[in-house]
Amino acid sequence: MTIGGFILRNAVRNKRRALLSILSVAVSLFLLVTLLVGLRELTQPPSDQDSAARIVVRNKISLGNLLPRRQRTIIEKIPGVAAVTPFTWFGGKFRDEEVMFGQFAIEPKLLQTIFGEAKMPAEQFEAFVADPTSCIVGIKTAEKYGLKIGELMKIQGTFWPIDLNLKLVGIYADGIDDRNLFFHHRQLDEMPNNTGEVGTWWVKAATLEDVGPAVQAINAAFANTTAAVRAETERAFQLSFISMWGNIKMLVFSICSVVVFTLVLVSASTMSMAVRERFRELAILKAIGFQRRELFAFILAESFGLAAAGAVLGVGGAWGLFNHTDLVATASQNFLVLFEVTPRIMAQACLVATLLGIVASIAPSLSVARMSVVQGLKTLD
Amino acid sequence: MRPNDPSVPVNSADSSEPPVVRIKELSKIYQQGEINVTALNRISLDIARREFLTLMGPSGSGKSTLLHIIAGVDRPTTGHCVVQGVEVTGLSESQLADWRNQNVGFVFQTFNLLPVLTAFENVELPLLLTRLTSKQRKKQVLTALELVGLADRTSHLPRQLSGGQEQRVAIARALVTDPQLIVADEPTGNLDSNSAHEVLDILRSLCSDAGKTVIMVTHDPKAAAFGSRNVHLEKGELAP
Repeated sequence: MTIGGFILRNAVRNKRRALLSILSVAVSLFLLVTLLVGLRELTQPPSDQDSAARIVVRNKISLGNLLPRRQRTIIEKIPGVAAVTPFTWFGGKFRDEEVMFGQFAIEPKLLQTIFGEAKMPAEQFEAFVADPTSCIVGIKTAEKYGLKIGELMKIQGTFWPIDLNLKLVGIYADGIDDRNLFFHHRQLDEMPNNTGEVGTWWVKAATLEDVGPAVQAINAAFANTTAAVRAETERAFQLSFISMWGNIKMLVFSICSVVVFTLVLVSASTMSMAVRERFRELAILKAIGFQRRELFAFILAESFGLAAAGAVLGVGGAWGLFNHTDLVATASQNFLVLFEVTPRIMAQACLVATLLGIVASIAPSLSVARMSVVQGLKTLD
Repeated sequence: MRPNDPSVPVNSADSSEPPVVRIKELSKIYQQGEINVTALNRISLDIARREFLTLMGPSGSGKSTLLHIIAGVDRPTTGHCVVQGVEVTGLSESQLADWRNQNVGFVFQTFNLLPVLTAFENVELPLLLTRLTSKQRKKQVLTALELVGLADRTSHLPRQLSGGQEQRVAIARALVTDPQLIVADEPTGNLDSNSAHEVLDILRSLCSDAGKTVIMVTHDPKAAAFGSRNVHLEKGELAP
């Protein structure tokens, strides 16, 4: 017999309790991982090189306030600015349902200059640029709705007072978000009672070194005007956009804290029960020469073992489910597309499991340390 | 050959050697709230090598307390307890644990085997604290189990053994580190008369054949008759 075997034998002596303990840890860690992955999905800004050179210009008051079209020529003249496109959220309904993909009005000919990472066949891009009533969609939306090139898409306006009748001429992939639909800004520019406004300006800097100065220059150019702007890198924009999720983040963190706290209570209670019911045996071990530190080590190892088994099941299960199946993407109708367990999240969950194993063993270890052999021997079985 | 008749005393105590246990002016006072309860009152006692000493007395007379102090699992309030030349009252918790592992074998009334371990593994338990290899441990465990007549029950769990067999496994566990001193707290209290007889025979042969010193607490005069010397305790004092 080895010490490890002895610990294992003790850990699973009450098989039902051991199984339930492992499952409670597993389910809680699965939930924790799911929340962390969800939080990451909602708050992850893009971080590739193309996005680093993009600048987003929005109304300084809020994202809901529009910007005058006349700003474009001023921005284009700022040194270091390579291209500028209007970028306006449409927010319509498709096939009478609240769609889960964004629709944006842009300047089509600048699509590949500014959003170069989106890949599509050249003839489709040319068709998009040529036809002001055309649109392109990301591959995920095309697959979700079974859209084919040449199909007519009717987008019913909910925010803007027009409906769009668009002809699908291209399907792109590998963009920032392969769910979006892009159409000509001209559709909005030419609508009745147009006031000549756009949602935001998206600017491509000539080089990464130009980004900082361009941001400063754009901000300065419209300071103290009726439409003061806030220019920032795409990453900063995403982060500020994310900051609107502040309360949700707090809510998720609160739930995570409750999960971890409950987990500690459950595990500590289980370990205390497991130790209390064999107080007498621990007294025997003390009597035959086992030291306090060795008994600590047994309890810690047992507690840690149960937590580790729960972690393997819970974190491993989440990893298998989220990283190797399309379950979440399917269930969320492609709203959550990057729902994956990263090594960092796995490490966080494993750290929680480790701490759990340690914390859960503290109370029983202390009671064993305080117990004298004589007291322990008097304990009823 | 093991003597089967309790009327045959062991009487093999060696008086030429220094005593294995020397107790001098030993007192143990428990504090229960504001009341002091004297469990042992200035006891002095020598126990020789190869002696089979039985401690008798009514409940609360202090016999188990005395046994616990000799075995190093309890501490006296005052006095000295020297076992094999070591003043056990002066050892730290950690030193006491090591000392117990090497010098004392315990046998309890309720056997106290670990239910998840086989007979072999229960006996092997004290050896996990030594530097013996697995092969050496196996040899010692089998020797101890053979000594108590259970070499064919090595893979049995405690629940698969009778009470008498369980107690014999407990004796094997007490013996396996080859301690000089075996302490037994009412080892026959939970056994039928036949099993009790077997267990007492084994304890007696440990003195006569293996040269161990056995101290046994018992309420049973028949069990006490197996000892080479009987000591009575009354209200924490040695009865004349």
